[in-house]
This record gives sequence, structure tokens and C-alpha cells, in this order.
Amino acid sequence: MDPDEVEFLGEKQYISIIPTFSSNVIHLISGDVGPFRPSIPIRVPFWMAMQLKQQRICKIEPPEWMEVDKLEAIKEDEKNSRTFTKMPSDHYMVEAKILLASATDDIPRADEIRTIIKDIWDVRMSKLRSSVDVLVKNNGSYAAVDNLTLMEINSIRPLLPHALDTLYRLKNSITGGSSQSQSTTTFSRSTTSFHS
Amino acid sequence: MENLNLSDDLDLENALQDENDEDEQLTPAEVIELMEEAWLNEKFAPEILPHKFDVVECLLGQITYMEDNIQNLESKDFRKTIHQLEVDRLRFLVCSYLRTRIEKIEAYCNHIMKQESERISKGEDQYLTESEFQFLKDFIQSLDSHFEKVTSFTVVTEDWKSQPVVPNVHSFVFLKSKQEVEGVIIDDGRNDENDLVDLDKGSQLIISYNSVANLIKKGDVHLI
Repeated sequence: MDPDEVEFLGEKQYISIIPTFSSNVIHLISGDVGPFRPSIPIRVPFWMAMQLKQQRICKIEPPEWMEVDKLEAIKEDEKNSRTFTKMPSDHYMVEAKILLASATDDIPRADEIRTIIKDIWDVRMSKLRSSVDVLVKNNGSYAAVDNLTLMEINSIRPLLPHALDTLYRLKNSITGGSSQSQSTTTFSRSTTSFHS
Repeated sequence: MENLNLSDDLDLENALQDENDEDEQLTPAEVIELMEEAWLNEKFAPEILPHKFDVVECLLGQITYMEDNIQNLESKDFRKTIHQLEVDRLRFLVCSYLRTRIEKIEAYCNHIMKQESERISKGEDQYLTESEFQFLKDFIQSLDSHFEKVTSFTVVTEDWKSQPVVPNVHSFVFLKSKQEVEGVIIDDGRNDENDLVDLDKGSQLIISYNSVANLIKKGDVHLI
């Protein structure tokens, strides 16, 4: 999957904004938002918040987890835990990326936050890589990926499913599980874009 | 999916199943949710899945309705850009879903044709919509006539037809469980006894597609 598509899914999360304009309720297909009154915070979908921000008619309220102290705590937890900890948002990376790119002026200590989130991502990715290593060495045929966010799953999608698939073929050819002709014809499709 | 009653022109298969279920009106937000799920399932499943024509139809109806309304807004109105943006996002979702299905139909045309014919003769629900099925027939026809043309100068055996391209149903997929499922049989490639795994609600797993294909079609789990 294209990372843009992961972002697309993440953008339907809601976020709090402080409008500087007045408007009645807007009837979106995905649900009503509003009414908007100046300086009264209101929750809108991310994609809408970004649109309003671009038009400079609102301020973004960063999500409550987007604070240096909270993120430091998450980072420590992540380092000390053997498994993946639950992230404050299923799309933390998407949200952070969008907000730090287009609403930096609304986020206090944006640079520090950027660094910590990158650290958390790195800790998790290295954990992910070592788990994948263990999984493949142990000949696993399934694995739990609880608490991994979509963006993280997407980052190993080009590699892990394909590696497990190849292992499966090898095991299968040893026991002679399926006919030879089938494995050769299916192989031609396995490198195409459906799984990536 | 069977118990939805989204629009008047539900296809026959669903209408028949609907008889036993209570009519259920979905909010547009829930329809979008279903569309996203169908999109991801279709994207990651190696084989083509049962169509979600009623969801597509319903969402397209919403989009058209909204587009008509947008016309009536003044172009200065900031709400116009917001509505337009939402319509574009939903349109992308539907298009991407339909495109993925078309790609699969083209890639596995003969295989899908065989399966669909079996379903028809057994009287089961078809996986393709009427227009997708028409597309499949036309595609196979043009493919055949093309092959005939390019091989007309020589005698070619028809061996290639006996080995159609088939989807790799062992390929590995990521899934999220929507409810508790017990005793999923893991196909691990060896012929000896297979492992069983239980899924908790909300758990995420990487697993081979054929172990969970039925759960996906039933809607107990969805791919991510």
C-alpha cells in the first residue's frame, strides 16, 4: 500500500480546532460538524482541519498526547517493554507528520516533539526488525502484530509477507504438499503490486 | 452484509437473503466505514472477493446528491471547498476499490471465469456484479482473439490454456479481528497436524490468506 493511502485513512481521525470564523452546522456525508463560533474549540476531521488551516481561519489544538513530557514517557515505556506498547493514537505518525508540517506555529516545542516521535518510531522499528528476524528463524507460520499501527505494518509489508510466502513454498516443496505446476504458475503473480 | 437494505435496487441475491433479516437503515457514515473496509479487504486479498455492489451504489448516490448541492453554493463560500474535498476523497475510495477489482479480473480472468461458472451452476451467489461479469467475458474474448491473431502464422498448442494464472491464496496478509474467533486452522505448509489459533476482538495478526479467507468473506475479520 502506498504510504499516501495510509495517510488518507489517518486523515479521517478527528482533531480539535479553534475557529476564527462563524458558521452554522456543515452537513458532511460523514456526519455533521459545527456550528463554528470564534474561539470555541470544536472537533472536525483532520482533512477538514488542514483545509481550514490553509485558509488561515482556524488554529489547531494539538492532540493531548503531543506534548514533550507525555512523549518522553511513551518513549521510556517503549524502550523498557519487550513487546510493542499501545500508542496514544492508531495513526500517531500520520498525525505528527501532518501537524508538524503544516501547523508548526500551533504546536509548542515542535522541534523537540519531532525528535522524540522520530525516536519512538526508531525504537519500534528496530524492535519490529528483530521480531521479524526471530519469526523467520523459528519458521513461524503466523504472528501477532498487536499494537502496531497501520503505518508500521505498512513499512514491513513489502518484505515480511513475501519472505513468509517463500518459506511456505520451501516447506511445501519438501513435503510435496502441492503439485509442481501450481507453484510455478502462482509464483509469477507474487511479485506484483497486489500485496505491496 | 446480507442484512443491509441500502437502496431499492438491491441485486437479487441480496434481496433474497434479506427476506429473513430485519431491514436496517445505515447512516452514511457507516456506509463509508463499510466502503473503507471493503477497499482494504479487496486491496490485500489475493483473490477477488464477493462484490459489495450495494455499498458502492449507496455511496455513489450520496456523492451525486452532494455534488448537486455543491452546484447551488456560491463559489466564494468556504463550505464549497470543504464539501468538494469530501466528495473527492470518497470518489477516490470508490474508484480505487473498483480499479482493484478490475485489475484482479484482468490478471486472473480465466480462473475467475471458471469459478464464477461453477457458482452459477451450483446456484450460489456470484462474486462479480453483472457489469463486472460482462467485462470479464469481453476481456477473455478479446484476449483469445488477440492470441489467435498473433499465433496464426504458426501452429501453437493450446497447452497454455490448461495452466491459467491463479491467485496465490497462500500469500500472507495482515488482519484485524472484529470479534472473537476460535480455532482458526493455520495452514503451515506441512502435512502433519495443523496449529489452531484463537483470535480476540481487536487483535492483529499476520497469517496466510487461505487460513482466514472464510472469516474475511463472513466479515468476522478484516484486512489491514
